[in-house]
Amino acid sequence: MHSSGYFIFYLFCVLLLATSCQDFPKDPEKTLEQVSNGTLKVGYSENPPWVVKGPDGPTGIEADLVKAFAKSINAQVEWQNDSEQNLLEDLEKNELHLVIAGLTDDSPWKSKISFTRPFVEVEKKKHVMAVIMGENAFTVKLESFLNQQKSVIQNRVQP
Amino acid sequence: MKQVSRFEYPEELQPVFKKAKKLEWITVGYLITTSIVVFLTMGNSQAMKTAWFEDILSLTPSISFLIASRVFHKKPNKNFPYGYHRVVSIAYLCSALALFSVGGFLIYDSVHTLLKQEHPTIGIKVIFGHEIWLGYLMIAAMLYSTIPAMILGRMKLPLAKQLHEKNLYTDADMNKADWMTGAAAIPGIIGIGMGWWWADSVAALLISLDIIKDGYTNLKQAVFDLMDQIPKTVDDQETDPLLNQIEHKLKGQSWIKEHAFRMREEGHIYSGEAFLVPHDQNGQLTQQIEKLLQEVRDLDWRIQEFTIMPVRKLPQNGAEEN
Repeated sequence: MHSSGYFIFYLFCVLLLATSCQDFPKDPEKTLEQVSNGTLKVGYSENPPWVVKGPDGPTGIEADLVKAFAKSINAQVEWQNDSEQNLLEDLEKNELHLVIAGLTDDSPWKSKISFTRPFVEVEKKKHVMAVIMGENAFTVKLESFLNQQKSVIQNRVQP
Repeated sequence: MKQVSRFEYPEELQPVFKKAKKLEWITVGYLITTSIVVFLTMGNSQAMKTAWFEDILSLTPSISFLIASRVFHKKPNKNFPYGYHRVVSIAYLCSALALFSVGGFLIYDSVHTLLKQEHPTIGIKVIFGHEIWLGYLMIAAMLYSTIPAMILGRMKLPLAKQLHEKNLYTDADMNKADWMTGAAAIPGIIGIGMGWWWADSVAALLISLDIIKDGYTNLKQAVFDLMDQIPKTVDDQETDPLLNQIEHKLKGQSWIKEHAFRMREEGHIYSGEAFLVPHDQNGQLTQQIEKLLQEVRDLDWRIQEFTIMPVRKLPQNGAEEN
């Protein structure tokens, strides 16, 4: 039948397009491009043991992960401390790139910002970081980094 | 009390009906698996949530067909002297409403996403230790919900016409809606990968216009059928040419001076009554009417109940004037 032929042709074109791109997926607002070899703006809100406030910036499991991630993309971290609510509002306005506050995936903020896939599960709570919505290249990069650090994270959360 | 005769499909249509039932069982099974696949790949993507909701809704026509097909051929009884044919029209109404809702839901969702400028986030999924972009999995899920739906829909169309099954026809439209949304979602997801956050919603919006048009046409027809509109064909909703044949038959009788008739659709079948003024009474009237009745019924299996009423003068407002 004619239309089936068109459909197969169309599928072929679409798949060709998908496989021909090197940096896939991309960011609508080019977040990954900006922070690589640049500045990664991270908001943090204290929530031990995930984020612990200190004299020289935050420490804790999530803060250390962010530092290592920044290093992996050759970025300088610019820390900003505030309440979780203010930070997530700044993230929504694209004034921050990333927020850590010991967040879990059942937080009600989901529709305005995005969460990474859970990087660890402790006491049935799935822990996530908050990123700008739809910045898929950046999200994929971060999620992939967190996945590679899985055993490191597991070791740290063990009591 | 006189009950209408029990309805069964004529012998030559029995295998067609069996095939339709089999196709609908396959459709139900297939749609359940697609909704599971879509559910597993949806992550926190709103677009995939819509696709999942739509999969659930699109079960309506096939399920209502299967339910109706167990009921409509039941023997008429004291409580239901006209039989159970109308259940087909009710099933048709349910299916049409589901199709219309799928279209409406898609429009609402994509317009909402575009206005709020919600950028869809699609991250990674880890399968057996391998990281894979969830977008690729979504595309695979969409392919699975596209190609079989296309084949099933194509197979149902000729059966729907033969069986005069508008519900089955709507289900074929629903399959078309399924594969079109799937086919539109694939470039939509790739568009998101290209950094075009609006791609998925624009693709969905274009498709939803087509679905809502099909949904509206069927919904209107389902309501009109229940309101006893004159019978319409299954595929293009035109007045059934069978009515012309009946008119022709009545006109061809030399013993009839004047006549008028009306018909309505009850699920698969038509019923109606004719009023006629005979030329002169020759004592043969009863035989002539019986013979004519048989001839009209022999025109098509769909004419299930036809009543002929001899009168001295045609009723003024009762019947359709021809």
